[in-house]
Amino acid sequence: MILGYIAVFAPLVAFLLAGILGRKCGDKFSQFVTCTAVLMAAAASVQLFFTVILGSNPHTLPVMTWISSGNFNVDWALRVDQLSVIMMCVINIVSSCVHIYSIGYMSHDESKSRFMAYLSLFTFAMLMLVSADNILQLFFGWEGVGLASYLLIGFWYHKDSATAASIKAFVVNRVGDLGLLLGIFTTFIVFGTIQFDGIFNAVTDHTADRFDFFGYQIHALTLICVLLFVGAVGKSAQLGLHTWLPDAMEGPTPVSALIHAATMVTAGVFLVSRFSPVFEYAPDALMIVCVFGAFTAFVAATIGMTQFDIKRVIAYSTMSQLGYMFFALGVSAYSAAMFHLVTHAFFKALLFLGAGSVIHAMSDEQDMRKMGGIWKKIPVTYAMMWIGSLALAGVPFFAGYYSKDLILESDWASDSPVGHFAYYMGIAAALMTAFYSWRLIIMTFHGKPRADHHTMDHVHESPLVMIVPLLVLAVGAIFSGSVLYGGFAGIPHQKTVESKATEIDEIESEMKEATQDQMEHIIKSESADAIHETVWNKEAFFGKSIVVLPEHDSVAKAHHVEKWVKLLPTIVGAVGIFLAYLAYMFIPSIPAAMVRIFKPLHILFFRKWFFDELYHIVFVKTAAALGTFLWKRGDGQVIDGLGPNGVAALSQKVSTVLSKFQTGFVFQYAFMMMIGLMVLVTWVAHAMGLFDLIPQFLNMR
Amino acid sequence: MDGFSWIVLSPIKQEIFLSLVGMLLLLVGAFRGKTSVGFIVTAVVVAACGAIAGILSGDWTPIDTLSGMLIVDGFSEWMKVLILSGIVVSLLLSVSWLRENNLLKFEYPILVLFSGVGMLFMVSANNLLSLYVSLELSSLCLYVLAAINRDHLLSSEAGLKYFILGALSSGLLLFGISLVYGYSGTLSYVGISSFLETAESMPYGIMVGMIFMLAGLAFKISAVPFHMWTPDVYHGAPTPVTALFAIVPKVAAFGLIIRLLVGPFAMLAQESAQIIMVISVGSMLVGAFAGLVQNNIKRLLAYSSIANMGYAMLGLLPNVPEGIAGTIIYLTIYMVMVAGVFGILMSLKRNGQSIETISDFAGLSKTSPFMAYAMTALLFSMSGIPPMAGFFGKFFVFQAAIAGGYMVVAVIGVLTSVVAAYYYLRLIKVMFFDESAGNVDENTSLSRHFVTVGALVFVLIFTLLPNHLLQRAIEAATSLFS
Amino acid sequence: MASTDFLLNYLPIVVFLGIALGLASVMVLASMLIGRSKPDTEKLSAYECGFEAFDDARRKFDVRFYLVAILFIIFDLEVAFLFPWAVSLGAIGMFGFWSMVVFLTVLTVGLVYEWNKGALDWE
Repeated sequence: MILGYIAVFAPLVAFLLAGILGRKCGDKFSQFVTCTAVLMAAAASVQLFFTVILGSNPHTLPVMTWISSGNFNVDWALRVDQLSVIMMCVINIVSSCVHIYSIGYMSHDESKSRFMAYLSLFTFAMLMLVSADNILQLFFGWEGVGLASYLLIGFWYHKDSATAASIKAFVVNRVGDLGLLLGIFTTFIVFGTIQFDGIFNAVTDHTADRFDFFGYQIHALTLICVLLFVGAVGKSAQLGLHTWLPDAMEGPTPVSALIHAATMVTAGVFLVSRFSPVFEYAPDALMIVCVFGAFTAFVAATIGMTQFDIKRVIAYSTMSQLGYMFFALGVSAYSAAMFHLVTHAFFKALLFLGAGSVIHAMSDEQDMRKMGGIWKKIPVTYAMMWIGSLALAGVPFFAGYYSKDLILESDWASDSPVGHFAYYMGIAAALMTAFYSWRLIIMTFHGKPRADHHTMDHVHESPLVMIVPLLVLAVGAIFSGSVLYGGFAGIPHQKTVESKATEIDEIESEMKEATQDQMEHIIKSESADAIHETVWNKEAFFGKSIVVLPEHDSVAKAHHVEKWVKLLPTIVGAVGIFLAYLAYMFIPSIPAAMVRIFKPLHILFFRKWFFDELYHIVFVKTAAALGTFLWKRGDGQVIDGLGPNGVAALSQKVSTVLSKFQTGFVFQYAFMMMIGLMVLVTWVAHAMGLFDLIPQFLNMR
Repeated sequence: MDGFSWIVLSPIKQEIFLSLVGMLLLLVGAFRGKTSVGFIVTAVVVAACGAIAGILSGDWTPIDTLSGMLIVDGFSEWMKVLILSGIVVSLLLSVSWLRENNLLKFEYPILVLFSGVGMLFMVSANNLLSLYVSLELSSLCLYVLAAINRDHLLSSEAGLKYFILGALSSGLLLFGISLVYGYSGTLSYVGISSFLETAESMPYGIMVGMIFMLAGLAFKISAVPFHMWTPDVYHGAPTPVTALFAIVPKVAAFGLIIRLLVGPFAMLAQESAQIIMVISVGSMLVGAFAGLVQNNIKRLLAYSSIANMGYAMLGLLPNVPEGIAGTIIYLTIYMVMVAGVFGILMSLKRNGQSIETISDFAGLSKTSPFMAYAMTALLFSMSGIPPMAGFFGKFFVFQAAIAGGYMVVAVIGVLTSVVAAYYYLRLIKVMFFDESAGNVDENTSLSRHFVTVGALVFVLIFTLLPNHLLQRAIEAATSLFS
Repeated sequence: MASTDFLLNYLPIVVFLGIALGLASVMVLASMLIGRSKPDTEKLSAYECGFEAFDDARRKFDVRFYLVAILFIIFDLEVAFLFPWAVSLGAIGMFGFWSMVVFLTVLTVGLVYEWNKGALDWE
């Protein structure tokens, strides 16, 4: 039981210690405290993986009563079920890697304590989000990660671009958050509770609920789901609200790895999965999710092919992969989406940290056009980038292969128009993914050095403290797919529950003796061994944390799709890699020629489909104009004019008039007194209704 | 000696004692002249303090005396303590100022004492005759005090204006009294009250009489529209006299009004509430707005006192003990704040000249930080900012008005207090943010300092004891209704 | 006729009014009839002292006239007070007696004060 608390609250303690005492006790202290805490949390969540998921023991841990107002009660509790434990594992493992990596990466920075504290704060907020037991708590975590993200993007606050990016991320996320908030309100209106259990148990009673909105009848559950999805769009950088993500790369690279690749941006995926019981009854909403995801995957991939900033390429790749997850969600393949979330977390964090390592080696150079020819100098990083790219491109037997194929198969298997549409978009994106991944590798590591001598002389392999996390993540990027495939995809189970339980006990006893780093390996290897004999059942793996209606179960159907559907993703991946070699290694003139021939298209891609420009014209400028109008006219002239200034001026006038009465002449004063007396008498007579009596008197006469 | 038995006189022994002291001191002054001033001042202060001690240690059970002319109860005792404290404080404030300005005549403390005695009788008056006589006793002394600097144009003008208008208001009061007497056939409060209770139809004559009486009394508390004298007199009279005017007589006049409203005119509560409402709203509005353009600090304080009287009257609207308790507390707090402000005002001198205009306060925070901060605290309190005492005063009366259903009036009160906050805050702004207008002289008077610090402490620590004070005030107010 | 009874109480006042009116008229008429009239400017001016009765109101005048007048009024009223007191002393008893003593004492203190202040000296 205590594991759940450790897994969630250790980072909070670390944040408080590092944040409050960091300045006094020094950077070493902060680094030690935060790393230890997050490693503890990681160990605890791995343990939870065994007890909760493999042991099928989801539970809820109470913390305290949060709000108690009338009949509106919100308890603060940790919901430790399968879904949240998967997220906790991902978050804590990646976070520990990033924490340790940061010790090396930020070694030249002045405010290490602050950085470590923020990282821990983020980890805690994210854990709060995934372990939420009600939507409000989820929202708390949701905003917490938003805050941490804001703080970390703008970590180098003396850089204008960084502060601008942090503000942009925050503002764009507000749009999504508004949707989420409205979704929360709607949920409360429909269900009368914000407790997950209460909502999910009551879904079937509300399937027919409708809202009357200006004469339109709106399906209540669809509305809830769409609004929640708006929140997810913001946080997970789906098309429309994605513009902040590439800019967020202004933050330090470990931040990009942790927040903008592995964890925070997947919050939207988690949200939809968490609300799967509701989404299942809102097919229209699922369709929207699917279409959004498909477009995002495609558009982001096209942009990724044209960018030169190494981190931006990976950022668009992240966006594209998030698109995959969403179009998986859109066909009810929640487990496939979660699967991709897990594998993606490993290989994308690996890629980012690898890129960070490259940047570190290249003296903070991020432009790929100024790199090249360094693979021999930093062989480990090079190997890591290869592993990450192989996993990303979906090369067989790497992690991405399993999850991406499962998603694409599920989409095809769903047998719906949107599913097929998403499949083709996904295939196109897969081609491009492979292409830009190798474009990145080749441009960065191969060819002639394009950096100046000074930089090239300094190129060096990163220290061990940065390499070890990379290795850990690489293990994940290689094995997480094959090991977990059974659990997420659900192959018919063969072993009895008892034998599984004994095995778990064995693993646990080994775990207790193992240290964290070793433990990572042990889990992977043990599990890898186990996979050949044991296959986990999907239903047992997720328990009741994900609900899929039988007729929607595209993951189950995914095992039975045609052969070409299964092979196509791998083939396009190989083609993409080949094309990249062709264009960037063997015939370097191709890219330039392509750019010339498809100039308009290239501009469209290179300028990121003009989203920023469009938003600038439509929203920023109009908002600025509206703001100026409201400021100058509305506030300045109307409110100030009628309000403070107007009232003040009027008061002054009244005051001047009143002081004119103060003539200084006694007879006038006396006159005023007499008038006042008469007014008083008249007033009282009037108030007492004496004037109404006059007619009566007259009649009496 | 049956008429003058101790039983009859003992309830008013403080008044008798003070009168005797006053007359003795007058003789001392008459024979010894200027040399005896110090002794007389000391004697008056000591006597007043003695009287306070006598009241505080005495029995507060209601008793009427001199054939029902006077009544002594919890309310009157409370008011008497306030009045006597006000007398003591204003004397402590005045003496060194008067001495510095060569105005310290031996009549000054004696006049203050006599007017105080008049006020003591005012708050225990239980008969229209004793009401009038006591009111005149205190007023006549005040007329003289206003013009005590008779070689000074403004001062004598102030005294004359006050006297003429005061005579007019006395005339109104007398006319009102005669109307009431004519229609009810009695001068005694109890008699009027029982007459009204048994009256079959609405006695309009008494109603009009009451309006005239209230008009006459409204003059004493400088309520609109009988306030016109206030700015001129405050401005013209020597500052210690202004302080006295601001601190003491209003409390006494309020005591008189309260007793009239809950006693003889209790049956006319509806009508009197209408009058109070009009007067109160007018005072709040005029006090708040007209003060905005004042540059002379004494005129400003005049308008401030007009506004404050408007607030104090809010508590009288519902005619219940809680409301009257609110008014009593309001007056108590107001007295203390005003005493503090005048203490500072009289302490501030530049090259031997008293500070009079608001611009003279410029940069006070740098030249005389203690004064500036003390003034700031007092002004914050006057504008009703928590946790200063002034906030609680306003809070209690607004609460009473709202509880009585006078929501609109209370809202006007709150709004005008926002307007009035402007002139208090402006003074603070001038003190802290404006260029200094030069150094101020060192404050030499210990007694003045004592009063200022005392007021400051009261204003600051009041937040700790409002409940206790409120409890006592409600007890005092309840004694009126028994 | 209750109101008649009530008004009858005021009959002495009417009588006094009549007497006062008659006496004043007799005195004025007598002086007109009997007195020899040889007017000159001194005789025609008011009381042969003080200032012009009909003149510019804002003219300066000696405040001492007023002082004397005010002091006179005080003691005049005292006498006016003493007469009814003396008449009704039997009815009001010791209480009335001592009240008047207190009143006179207060008045005496005032007299001593003004005497000492020199208010009674013309120069």
